[in-house]
Amino acid sequence: MIEFRNVTKIYEPNVHALNHATFHIKPGEFVFLVGQSGTGKTTAVRLLISEEKVSNGRIIVGGWDITHIRRKHIPLLRRQIGVVWQDYKLLPKKTVFENVAFALEVSGAEKERIQKIVPQVLKIVGLQDKTNRYPTQLSGGEQQRVSIARSLVHRPKILVADEPTGNLDTVNTREIIDILQKINEFGTTVLLVTHNREIVNSLKKRVITLEKGLVISDQEKGRYML
Amino acid sequence: MFLLSLTRIIRFALQNFYRNIWLSLVTITIIVLTLLSLTSLIILNAGVNQTIITVKNKIDVSLYFTPNIDTETVSLIKEQIGKYATVAEVNLINATQALEKFKNAHANDSTIKEALNQLETNPLGPTLTIKAKNANLYPQILEQIKKDKLDTLAEEIDYDDNKLVIEKLSVIGQKIKKVGFIISIVFTIISLLVVFNTIRIGIYTHREEINIMKLVGAENWFVRLPFLFEGALYAFIGCLFFWLIFYLAVSLIQPFLSSFLIDINFNIMSYIWDHFIYIFGFELILMIVLNTISGFVAISKYLRT
Repeated sequence: MIEFRNVTKIYEPNVHALNHATFHIKPGEFVFLVGQSGTGKTTAVRLLISEEKVSNGRIIVGGWDITHIRRKHIPLLRRQIGVVWQDYKLLPKKTVFENVAFALEVSGAEKERIQKIVPQVLKIVGLQDKTNRYPTQLSGGEQQRVSIARSLVHRPKILVADEPTGNLDTVNTREIIDILQKINEFGTTVLLVTHNREIVNSLKKRVITLEKGLVISDQEKGRYML
Repeated sequence: MFLLSLTRIIRFALQNFYRNIWLSLVTITIIVLTLLSLTSLIILNAGVNQTIITVKNKIDVSLYFTPNIDTETVSLIKEQIGKYATVAEVNLINATQALEKFKNAHANDSTIKEALNQLETNPLGPTLTIKAKNANLYPQILEQIKKDKLDTLAEEIDYDDNKLVIEKLSVIGQKIKKVGFIISIVFTIISLLVVFNTIRIGIYTHREEINIMKLVGAENWFVRLPFLFEGALYAFIGCLFFWLIFYLAVSLIQPFLSSFLIDINFNIMSYIWDHFIYIFGFELILMIVLNTISGFVAISKYLRT
Protein backbone atom coordinates (compact mmCIF):
# COMPACT_ATOMS: atom_id res chain seq x y z
CA MET A 1 0.00 0.00 0.00
CA ILE A 2 2.86 2.36 0.91
CA GLU A 3 6.34 1.70 -0.39
CA PHE A 4 9.47 3.71 0.32
CA ARG A 5 12.37 2.53 -1.86
CA ASN A 6 15.74 3.96 -0.89
CA VAL A 7 14.18 7.32 -0.19
CA THR A 8 16.57 10.15 0.60
CA LYS A 9 15.55 13.68 1.37
CA ILE A 10 18.25 16.32 1.60
CA TYR A 11 17.48 19.84 2.77
CA GLU A 12 19.91 22.54 1.72
CA PRO A 13 22.75 22.91 2.42
CA ASN A 14 23.40 19.31 3.41
CA VAL A 15 20.89 17.98 5.95
CA HIS A 16 19.86 14.37 5.34
CA ALA A 17 16.33 14.25 6.81
CA LEU A 18 15.85 10.76 5.35
CA ASN A 19 18.70 8.53 4.27
CA HIS A 20 17.99 5.57 1.98
CA ALA A 21 14.80 4.77 3.88
CA THR A 22 13.16 1.59 2.68
CA PHE A 23 9.96 0.00 4.02
CA HIS A 24 6.75 -1.47 2.71
CA ILE A 25 3.41 -1.18 4.47
CA LYS A 26 0.77 -3.69 3.40
CA PRO A 27 -2.97 -2.96 3.03
CA GLY A 28 -4.87 -2.98 6.33
CA GLU A 29 -1.75 -2.75 8.50
CA PHE A 30 -1.43 -0.55 11.59
CA VAL A 31 2.15 0.71 11.68
CA PHE A 32 3.99 2.98 14.06
CA LEU A 33 6.74 5.19 12.69
CA VAL A 34 8.81 6.16 15.69
CA GLY A 35 11.96 8.04 16.46
CA GLN A 36 13.20 11.02 18.38
CA SER A 37 12.60 14.59 17.23
CA GLY A 38 14.39 15.46 14.01
CA THR A 39 14.84 11.89 12.79
CA GLY A 40 12.77 12.35 9.65
CA LYS A 41 9.31 11.10 10.72
CA THR A 42 7.45 14.23 9.64
CA THR A 43 9.56 14.45 6.50
CA ALA A 44 8.32 10.97 5.58
CA VAL A 45 4.71 12.16 5.98
CA ARG A 46 5.38 15.30 3.95
CA LEU A 47 6.88 13.20 1.18
CA LEU A 48 3.90 10.87 1.27
CA ILE A 49 1.45 13.71 0.54
CA SER A 50 3.84 15.45 -1.86
CA GLU A 51 4.35 18.45 0.36
CA GLU A 52 8.01 17.84 -0.37
CA LYS A 53 9.85 16.22 -3.25
CA VAL A 54 12.24 13.33 -2.74
CA SER A 55 15.92 13.94 -3.47
CA ASN A 56 16.51 10.28 -4.36
CA GLY A 57 14.60 7.02 -4.34
CA ARG A 58 10.96 6.24 -5.09
CA ILE A 59 7.64 6.38 -3.26
CA ILE A 60 4.71 4.26 -4.36
CA VAL A 61 1.25 4.69 -2.87
CA GLY A 62 -1.48 2.20 -3.78
CA GLY A 63 0.47 1.23 -6.89
CA TRP A 64 0.86 4.86 -7.94
CA ASP A 65 4.44 6.06 -8.25
CA ILE A 66 4.24 9.54 -6.79
CA THR A 67 8.00 10.22 -6.86
CA HIS A 68 7.68 12.73 -9.68
CA ILE A 69 3.98 13.45 -9.35
CA ARG A 70 2.76 16.36 -11.46
CA ARG A 71 1.56 19.38 -9.57
CA LYS A 72 -1.98 19.12 -10.92
CA HIS A 73 -2.29 15.55 -9.58
CA ILE A 74 -1.30 16.43 -6.01
CA PRO A 75 -4.87 17.36 -4.90
CA LEU A 76 -6.04 13.98 -6.18
CA LEU A 77 -3.36 12.19 -4.13
CA ARG A 78 -4.23 14.16 -1.00
CA ARG A 79 -7.89 13.21 -1.32
CA GLN A 80 -6.90 9.55 -1.30
CA ILE A 81 -4.76 9.74 1.84
CA GLY A 82 -6.38 10.88 5.06
CA VAL A 83 -3.93 12.92 7.11
CA VAL A 84 -4.15 13.97 10.75
CA TRP A 85 -1.68 16.50 12.13
CA GLN A 86 -0.45 17.31 15.60
CA ASP A 87 -1.73 20.90 15.30
CA TYR A 88 -5.10 19.71 13.87
CA LYS A 89 -4.96 22.16 10.93
CA LEU A 90 -8.60 23.16 11.16
CA LEU A 91 -9.99 26.22 9.40
CA PRO A 92 -10.66 28.61 12.29
CA LYS A 93 -13.51 30.49 10.61
CA LYS A 94 -15.44 27.37 9.70
CA THR A 95 -17.64 25.29 11.98
CA VAL A 96 -17.02 21.61 12.76
CA PHE A 97 -19.47 20.61 10.03
CA GLU A 98 -17.98 23.04 7.51
CA ASN A 99 -14.42 21.91 8.26
CA VAL A 100 -15.30 18.32 7.55
CA ALA A 101 -17.52 19.19 4.59
CA PHE A 102 -14.77 21.32 3.07
CA ALA A 103 -12.69 18.25 2.24
CA LEU A 104 -15.63 16.96 0.21
CA GLU A 105 -16.51 20.29 -1.32
CA VAL A 106 -13.03 20.71 -2.81
CA SER A 107 -13.57 17.50 -4.75
CA GLY A 108 -16.89 18.74 -6.15
CA ALA A 109 -19.08 16.38 -4.09
CA GLU A 110 -22.82 16.91 -4.38
CA LYS A 111 -24.64 18.61 -1.52
CA GLU A 112 -26.74 15.52 -0.79
CA ARG A 113 -23.62 13.37 -0.44
CA ILE A 114 -22.05 15.89 1.91
CA GLN A 115 -25.21 16.01 4.01
CA LYS A 116 -25.08 12.22 4.29
CA ILE A 117 -21.37 11.57 4.87
CA VAL A 118 -20.40 14.40 7.22
CA PRO A 119 -22.83 13.41 10.03
CA GLN A 120 -21.68 9.79 9.63
CA VAL A 121 -17.98 10.57 10.15
CA LEU A 122 -18.77 13.00 12.95
CA LYS A 123 -20.68 10.20 14.65
CA ILE A 124 -17.67 7.88 14.31
CA VAL A 125 -15.54 10.40 16.24
CA GLY A 126 -18.36 11.23 18.67
CA LEU A 127 -18.91 14.86 17.69
CA GLN A 128 -22.41 14.63 16.25
CA ASP A 129 -23.67 17.12 18.85
CA LYS A 130 -21.05 19.78 18.19
CA THR A 131 -21.45 20.33 14.46
CA ASN A 132 -22.04 24.07 14.73
CA ARG A 133 -19.14 24.86 17.03
CA TYR A 134 -16.04 26.65 15.83
CA PRO A 135 -12.61 25.06 16.49
CA THR A 136 -11.84 27.61 19.20
CA GLN A 137 -14.93 26.42 21.09
CA LEU A 138 -13.58 22.85 21.30
CA SER A 139 -10.99 21.13 23.49
CA GLY A 140 -7.74 19.86 21.97
CA GLY A 141 -9.04 16.29 21.90
CA GLU A 142 -12.25 17.38 20.18
CA GLN A 143 -10.32 19.38 17.63
CA GLN A 144 -8.21 16.34 16.85
CA ARG A 145 -11.37 14.28 16.43
CA VAL A 146 -12.67 16.83 13.91
CA SER A 147 -9.38 16.47 12.09
CA ILE A 148 -9.80 12.68 12.03
CA ALA A 149 -13.39 13.01 10.83
CA ARG A 150 -12.22 15.25 8.01
CA SER A 151 -9.56 12.73 7.02
CA LEU A 152 -12.23 10.04 6.72
CA VAL A 153 -14.72 11.74 4.42
CA HIS A 154 -13.15 10.39 1.25
CA ARG A 155 -13.14 6.89 2.77
CA PRO A 156 -9.37 6.72 2.28
CA LYS A 157 -7.50 3.44 2.10
CA ILE A 158 -4.61 5.06 3.98
CA LEU A 159 -4.71 7.22 7.08
CA VAL A 160 -1.52 8.96 8.16
CA ALA A 161 -1.43 10.54 11.61
CA ASP A 162 1.56 12.72 12.39
CA GLU A 163 1.94 13.00 16.18
CA PRO A 164 -1.86 13.21 16.60
CA THR A 165 -1.59 13.00 20.38
CA GLY A 166 1.36 15.33 20.76
CA ASN A 167 -0.77 18.13 22.25
CA LEU A 168 -3.18 15.96 24.22
CA ASP A 169 -3.49 14.66 27.77
CA THR A 170 -3.58 10.94 28.59
CA VAL A 171 -7.36 10.55 28.44
CA ASN A 172 -7.68 12.30 25.08
CA THR A 173 -4.66 10.42 23.79
CA ARG A 174 -6.32 7.11 24.62
CA GLU A 175 -9.55 8.20 22.91
CA ILE A 176 -7.74 9.23 19.74
CA ILE A 177 -5.79 5.96 19.60
CA ASP A 178 -9.04 4.01 20.10
CA ILE A 179 -10.60 5.86 17.17
CA LEU A 180 -7.57 5.15 14.98
CA GLN A 181 -7.72 1.47 15.93
CA LYS A 182 -11.41 1.38 15.09
CA ILE A 183 -10.69 2.94 11.69
CA ASN A 184 -7.98 0.33 11.12
CA GLU A 185 -10.43 -2.43 11.99
CA PHE A 186 -12.66 -1.19 9.16
CA GLY A 187 -9.77 -2.00 6.79
CA THR A 188 -7.95 1.31 6.51
CA THR A 189 -4.17 1.18 6.56
CA VAL A 190 -2.94 3.39 9.40
CA LEU A 191 0.52 4.89 9.66
CA LEU A 192 0.90 6.51 13.06
CA VAL A 193 3.90 8.75 13.59
CA THR A 194 4.68 9.19 17.25
CA HIS A 195 7.30 9.26 19.95
CA ASN A 196 4.87 8.23 22.65
CA ARG A 197 6.49 5.13 24.19
CA GLU A 198 3.40 4.01 26.17
CA ILE A 199 1.11 3.89 23.18
CA VAL A 200 3.59 2.03 21.05
CA ASN A 201 4.29 -0.53 23.71
CA SER A 202 0.64 -1.05 24.65
CA LEU A 203 -0.66 -1.73 21.14
CA LYS A 204 1.93 -4.31 20.11
CA LYS A 205 1.74 -3.42 16.41
CA ARG A 206 4.44 -3.17 13.75
CA VAL A 207 7.05 -0.53 14.61
CA ILE A 208 9.45 1.13 12.16
CA THR A 209 12.16 3.05 13.96
CA LEU A 210 14.04 5.96 12.44
CA GLU A 211 17.29 7.43 13.66
CA LYS A 212 19.07 10.26 11.91
CA GLY A 213 17.03 9.57 8.78
CA LEU A 214 17.93 5.88 8.70
CA VAL A 215 15.52 2.97 9.28
CA ILE A 216 17.30 1.24 12.12
CA SER A 217 14.60 -1.32 12.90
CA ASP A 218 11.35 -2.70 11.48
CA GLN A 219 9.60 -5.18 13.81
CA GLU A 220 6.23 -6.92 13.78
CA LYS A 221 4.61 -6.49 17.23
CA GLY A 222 7.50 -4.26 18.12
CA ARG A 223 8.31 -2.02 21.03
CA TYR A 224 9.58 1.50 21.41
CA MET A 225 13.29 0.84 21.63
CA LEU A 226 15.00 4.26 21.70
CA MET B 1 -20.22 20.73 -11.53
CA PHE B 2 -19.17 24.20 -12.66
CA LEU B 3 -22.32 25.76 -11.21
CA LEU B 4 -21.87 23.81 -7.98
CA SER B 5 -18.27 24.99 -7.63
CA LEU B 6 -19.24 28.56 -8.49
CA THR B 7 -21.95 28.54 -5.83
CA ARG B 8 -19.43 27.23 -3.29
CA ILE B 9 -16.83 29.81 -4.26
CA ILE B 10 -19.35 32.63 -3.81
CA ARG B 11 -20.53 31.15 -0.50
CA PHE B 12 -16.95 30.83 0.80
CA ALA B 13 -16.21 34.41 -0.27
CA LEU B 14 -19.29 35.73 1.54
CA GLN B 15 -18.44 33.66 4.63
CA ASN B 16 -14.89 34.98 4.59
CA PHE B 17 -16.26 38.47 4.26
CA TYR B 18 -18.55 38.46 7.27
CA ARG B 19 -16.58 36.07 9.47
CA ASN B 20 -13.55 38.35 9.14
CA ILE B 21 -15.68 41.46 9.39
CA TRP B 22 -12.99 43.68 10.92
CA LEU B 23 -10.49 42.87 8.24
CA SER B 24 -13.22 43.45 5.64
CA LEU B 25 -14.10 46.82 7.17
CA VAL B 26 -10.45 47.91 7.25
CA THR B 27 -10.00 46.95 3.59
CA ILE B 28 -13.19 48.76 2.59
CA THR B 29 -12.09 51.85 4.54
CA ILE B 30 -8.79 51.88 2.65
CA ILE B 31 -10.68 51.59 -0.64
CA VAL B 32 -13.01 54.44 0.38
CA LEU B 33 -10.01 56.65 1.26
CA THR B 34 -8.33 55.79 -2.02
CA LEU B 35 -11.47 56.69 -3.93
CA LEU B 36 -11.73 59.93 -1.98
CA SER B 37 -8.23 60.83 -3.09
CA LEU B 38 -8.91 59.81 -6.71
CA THR B 39 -12.28 61.52 -6.98
CA SER B 40 -10.96 64.70 -5.35
CA LEU B 41 -8.21 64.81 -7.95
CA ILE B 42 -10.69 64.29 -10.79
CA ILE B 43 -12.90 67.09 -9.49
CA LEU B 44 -9.94 69.36 -8.77
CA ASN B 45 -8.72 68.90 -12.33
CA ALA B 46 -12.17 69.70 -13.67
CA GLY B 47 -12.33 72.78 -11.40
CA VAL B 48 -8.94 74.05 -12.58
CA ASN B 49 -9.94 73.55 -16.22
CA GLN B 50 -13.21 75.38 -15.65
CA THR B 51 -11.34 78.23 -13.90
CA ILE B 52 -8.98 78.63 -16.83
CA ILE B 53 -11.89 78.62 -19.28
CA THR B 54 -13.76 81.19 -17.19
CA VAL B 55 -10.79 83.51 -16.85
CA LYS B 56 -9.95 83.21 -20.53
CA ASN B 57 -13.55 84.08 -21.38
CA LYS B 58 -13.14 87.32 -19.47
CA ILE B 59 -10.30 88.44 -21.72
CA ASP B 60 -11.12 90.59 -24.72
CA VAL B 61 -9.72 93.34 -26.93
CA SER B 62 -11.46 96.68 -26.82
CA LEU B 63 -11.47 99.23 -29.61
CA TYR B 64 -12.33 102.68 -28.22
CA PHE B 65 -13.62 105.22 -30.73
CA THR B 66 -13.85 109.01 -30.45
CA PRO B 67 -17.27 110.42 -29.50
CA ASN B 68 -17.73 112.04 -32.92
CA ILE B 69 -17.47 108.87 -35.00
CA ASP B 70 -20.71 107.97 -36.76
CA THR B 71 -22.58 104.83 -35.79
CA GLU B 72 -22.63 103.47 -39.35
CA THR B 73 -18.83 103.38 -39.54
CA VAL B 74 -18.61 101.54 -36.21
CA SER B 75 -21.20 99.03 -37.43
CA LEU B 76 -19.20 98.42 -40.59
CA ILE B 77 -16.02 97.87 -38.58
CA LYS B 78 -17.92 95.50 -36.29
CA GLU B 79 -19.19 93.56 -39.29
CA GLN B 80 -15.73 93.35 -40.82
CA ILE B 81 -14.05 92.13 -37.62
CA GLY B 82 -16.87 89.67 -37.05
CA LYS B 83 -15.90 87.96 -40.29
CA TYR B 84 -12.37 87.12 -39.06
CA ALA B 85 -11.96 83.36 -38.67
CA THR B 86 -10.17 83.92 -35.38
CA VAL B 87 -12.98 85.95 -33.81
CA ALA B 88 -15.70 84.32 -31.76
CA GLU B 89 -17.78 87.38 -30.95
CA VAL B 90 -17.85 91.18 -31.45
CA ASN B 91 -20.03 93.39 -29.28
CA LEU B 92 -20.85 97.03 -29.74
CA ILE B 93 -21.21 99.25 -26.72
CA ASN B 94 -22.61 102.62 -27.73
CA ALA B 95 -21.49 105.90 -26.15
CA THR B 96 -24.34 106.04 -23.62
CA GLN B 97 -23.74 102.44 -22.49
CA ALA B 98 -19.99 103.14 -22.32
CA LEU B 99 -20.60 106.13 -20.03
CA GLU B 100 -22.94 104.13 -17.85
CA LYS B 101 -20.40 101.36 -17.58
CA PHE B 102 -17.66 103.82 -16.73
CA LYS B 103 -19.81 105.46 -14.05
CA ASN B 104 -20.59 102.07 -12.51
CA ALA B 105 -16.96 101.07 -12.53
CA HIS B 106 -15.98 104.26 -10.70
CA ALA B 107 -19.03 104.65 -8.50
CA ASN B 108 -16.90 104.99 -5.41
CA ASP B 109 -14.46 107.50 -6.87
CA SER B 110 -15.80 110.95 -5.95
CA THR B 111 -13.21 112.84 -8.05
CA ILE B 112 -14.22 111.09 -11.27
CA LYS B 113 -17.87 111.46 -10.37
CA GLU B 114 -17.44 115.19 -9.86
CA ALA B 115 -15.45 115.56 -13.09
CA LEU B 116 -18.17 113.78 -15.06
CA ASN B 117 -20.85 115.97 -13.55
CA GLN B 118 -19.04 119.09 -14.69
CA LEU B 119 -18.95 117.87 -18.29
CA GLU B 120 -21.96 118.82 -20.37
CA THR B 121 -21.46 116.20 -23.06
CA ASN B 122 -20.57 112.51 -23.04
CA PRO B 123 -16.79 112.37 -23.32
CA LEU B 124 -16.81 108.71 -24.35
CA GLY B 125 -17.30 107.22 -27.75
CA PRO B 126 -18.60 103.79 -28.75
CA THR B 127 -16.52 100.68 -28.02
CA LEU B 128 -16.15 97.36 -29.77
CA THR B 129 -15.24 94.40 -27.57
CA ILE B 130 -13.77 91.48 -29.43
CA LYS B 131 -13.51 87.94 -28.12
CA ALA B 132 -11.19 85.45 -29.83
CA LYS B 133 -12.00 81.80 -30.36
CA ASN B 134 -8.84 81.03 -28.41
CA ALA B 135 -6.79 83.16 -26.02
CA ASN B 136 -3.70 82.61 -28.15
CA LEU B 137 -5.35 84.18 -31.19
CA TYR B 138 -5.46 87.78 -29.91
CA PRO B 139 -2.11 88.77 -31.46
CA GLN B 140 -3.38 87.54 -34.84
CA ILE B 141 -6.61 89.52 -34.49
CA LEU B 142 -4.67 92.68 -33.67
CA GLU B 143 -2.39 92.11 -36.62
CA GLN B 144 -5.39 91.69 -38.91
CA ILE B 145 -7.00 94.89 -37.54
CA LYS B 146 -3.77 96.78 -38.25
CA LYS B 147 -3.47 95.20 -41.68
CA ASP B 148 -7.03 96.27 -42.52
CA LYS B 149 -6.15 99.75 -41.12
CA LEU B 150 -9.15 99.65 -38.81
CA ASP B 151 -6.98 100.80 -35.93
CA THR B 152 -6.59 104.23 -37.53
CA LEU B 153 -10.26 104.90 -36.87
CA ALA B 154 -9.99 103.91 -33.22
CA GLU B 155 -8.81 106.24 -30.52
CA GLU B 156 -7.24 103.43 -28.53
CA ILE B 157 -6.84 99.68 -28.62
CA ASP B 158 -6.89 98.14 -25.18
CA TYR B 159 -4.91 95.00 -25.55
CA ASP B 160 -1.40 95.71 -24.34
CA ASP B 161 -2.77 95.97 -20.79
CA ASN B 162 -4.27 92.52 -21.11
CA LYS B 163 -1.49 91.04 -23.16
CA LEU B 164 0.73 90.30 -20.20
CA VAL B 165 -2.16 88.85 -18.20
CA ILE B 166 -3.19 86.64 -21.11
CA GLU B 167 0.33 85.39 -21.64
CA LYS B 168 0.83 84.75 -17.92
CA LEU B 169 -2.50 83.04 -17.65
CA SER B 170 -1.72 80.75 -20.56
CA VAL B 171 1.59 79.79 -18.96
CA ILE B 172 -0.01 79.31 -15.54
CA GLY B 173 -2.82 77.29 -17.06
CA GLN B 174 -0.41 74.98 -18.82
CA LYS B 175 1.70 74.64 -15.67
CA ILE B 176 -1.34 73.86 -13.54
CA LYS B 177 -2.34 71.17 -16.03
CA LYS B 178 1.14 69.65 -16.04
CA VAL B 179 1.60 69.80 -12.25
CA GLY B 180 -1.98 68.59 -11.71
CA PHE B 181 -1.35 65.67 -14.03
CA ILE B 182 1.87 64.70 -12.24
CA ILE B 183 0.25 65.07 -8.80
CA SER B 184 -2.70 62.98 -10.00
CA ILE B 185 -0.41 60.25 -11.25
CA VAL B 186 1.66 60.25 -8.03
CA PHE B 187 -1.41 60.20 -5.79
CA THR B 188 -3.05 57.52 -7.88
CA ILE B 189 0.06 55.32 -7.67
CA ILE B 190 0.30 55.85 -3.89
CA SER B 191 -3.39 55.03 -3.47
CA LEU B 192 -3.13 51.93 -5.63
CA LEU B 193 -0.09 50.74 -3.69
CA VAL B 194 -1.97 51.19 -0.43
CA VAL B 195 -4.89 49.09 -1.71
CA PHE B 196 -2.47 46.53 -3.16
CA ASN B 197 -0.74 46.12 0.19
CA THR B 198 -3.99 45.99 2.13
CA ILE B 199 -5.17 43.08 0.00
CA ARG B 200 -1.77 41.42 0.40
CA ILE B 201 -1.94 41.74 4.19
CA GLY B 202 -5.46 40.31 4.09
CA ILE B 203 -4.23 37.27 2.18
CA TYR B 204 -1.21 37.02 4.49
CA THR B 205 -3.52 36.60 7.48
CA HIS B 206 -5.15 33.69 5.64
CA ARG B 207 -1.90 31.94 4.72
CA GLU B 208 -2.41 29.13 7.25
CA GLU B 209 -5.91 28.50 5.97
CA ILE B 210 -4.68 28.45 2.39
CA ASN B 211 -2.11 25.85 3.37
CA ILE B 212 -4.76 23.74 5.12
CA MET B 213 -7.07 23.92 2.10
CA LYS B 214 -4.24 22.67 -0.07
CA LEU B 215 -3.43 19.87 2.35
CA VAL B 216 -6.98 18.53 2.32
CA GLY B 217 -6.91 18.31 -1.45
CA ALA B 218 -8.18 21.64 -2.75
CA GLU B 219 -6.98 22.60 -6.20
CA ASN B 220 -5.36 25.99 -6.63
CA TRP B 221 -8.30 27.59 -8.43
CA PHE B 222 -10.67 26.42 -5.69
CA VAL B 223 -8.51 28.11 -3.05
CA ARG B 224 -7.83 31.21 -5.11
CA LEU B 225 -11.25 32.10 -6.50
CA PRO B 226 -13.08 32.82 -3.20
CA PHE B 227 -10.32 35.28 -2.27
CA LEU B 228 -10.49 36.96 -5.67
CA PHE B 229 -14.26 37.14 -5.48
CA GLU B 230 -13.96 38.58 -1.99
CA GLY B 231 -11.56 41.23 -3.34
CA ALA B 232 -14.08 42.18 -6.03
CA LEU B 233 -16.75 42.36 -3.34
CA TYR B 234 -14.57 44.75 -1.31
CA ALA B 235 -14.20 46.92 -4.42
CA PHE B 236 -17.94 46.97 -5.09
CA ILE B 237 -18.96 47.71 -1.50
CA GLY B 238 -16.12 50.24 -1.17
CA CYS B 239 -17.34 52.11 -4.26
CA LEU B 240 -20.95 52.11 -3.07
CA PHE B 241 -19.96 53.31 0.41
CA PHE B 242 -17.68 55.98 -0.97
CA TRP B 243 -20.27 57.43 -3.32
CA LEU B 244 -22.91 57.43 -0.63
CA ILE B 245 -20.60 59.30 1.77
CA PHE B 246 -19.29 61.58 -0.97
CA TYR B 247 -22.80 62.45 -2.17
CA LEU B 248 -23.90 63.35 1.35
CA ALA B 249 -20.74 65.37 1.99
CA VAL B 250 -21.02 67.32 -1.27
CA SER B 251 -24.73 67.96 -0.66
CA LEU B 252 -23.83 69.50 2.68
CA ILE B 253 -20.97 71.69 1.48
CA GLN B 254 -22.34 72.60 -1.96
CA PRO B 255 -24.13 75.80 -0.77
CA PHE B 256 -20.87 77.12 0.73
CA LEU B 257 -18.87 76.09 -2.30
CA SER B 258 -21.39 77.67 -4.67
CA SER B 259 -20.91 81.12 -3.14
CA PHE B 260 -17.15 80.57 -3.18
CA LEU B 261 -17.04 79.33 -6.77
CA ILE B 262 -19.69 81.67 -8.15
CA ASP B 263 -17.19 83.54 -10.34
CA ILE B 264 -15.93 80.45 -12.10
CA ASN B 265 -19.34 78.90 -12.68
CA PHE B 266 -18.38 75.44 -11.36
CA ASN B 267 -20.95 73.30 -9.56
CA ILE B 268 -19.47 70.10 -8.11
CA MET B 269 -22.82 68.35 -7.79
CA SER B 270 -23.75 69.07 -11.41
CA TYR B 271 -20.31 67.96 -12.53
CA ILE B 272 -20.67 64.69 -10.60
CA TRP B 273 -24.12 63.96 -12.01
CA ASP B 274 -23.02 64.78 -15.56
CA HIS B 275 -20.04 62.44 -15.32
CA PHE B 276 -21.27 59.95 -12.71
CA ILE B 277 -21.40 56.88 -14.97
CA TYR B 278 -17.88 57.51 -16.26
CA ILE B 279 -16.27 58.26 -12.88
CA PHE B 280 -18.13 55.53 -10.98
CA GLY B 281 -17.56 53.01 -13.78
CA PHE B 282 -13.88 53.90 -14.03
CA GLU B 283 -13.35 53.69 -10.28
CA LEU B 284 -15.32 50.46 -9.89
CA ILE B 285 -13.46 48.73 -12.72
CA LEU B 286 -10.12 50.09 -11.47
CA MET B 287 -10.74 48.80 -7.93
CA ILE B 288 -12.01 45.40 -9.08
CA VAL B 289 -9.03 44.94 -11.39
CA LEU B 290 -6.61 46.19 -8.74
CA ASN B 291 -8.05 43.98 -5.98
CA THR B 292 -8.12 40.95 -8.26
CA ILE B 293 -4.53 41.43 -9.40
CA SER B 294 -3.34 42.12 -5.83
CA GLY B 295 -5.15 39.03 -4.56
CA PHE B 296 -3.87 36.91 -7.41
CA VAL B 297 -0.27 37.96 -6.85
CA ALA B 298 -0.48 37.66 -3.05
CA ILE B 299 -2.13 34.26 -2.97
CA SER B 300 0.20 32.72 -5.57
CA LYS B 301 2.96 32.86 -3.00
CA TYR B 302 1.06 30.48 -0.71
CA LEU B 303 -0.11 28.07 -3.38
CA ARG B 304 3.26 26.64 -4.27
CA THR B 305 3.29 23.71 -1.83
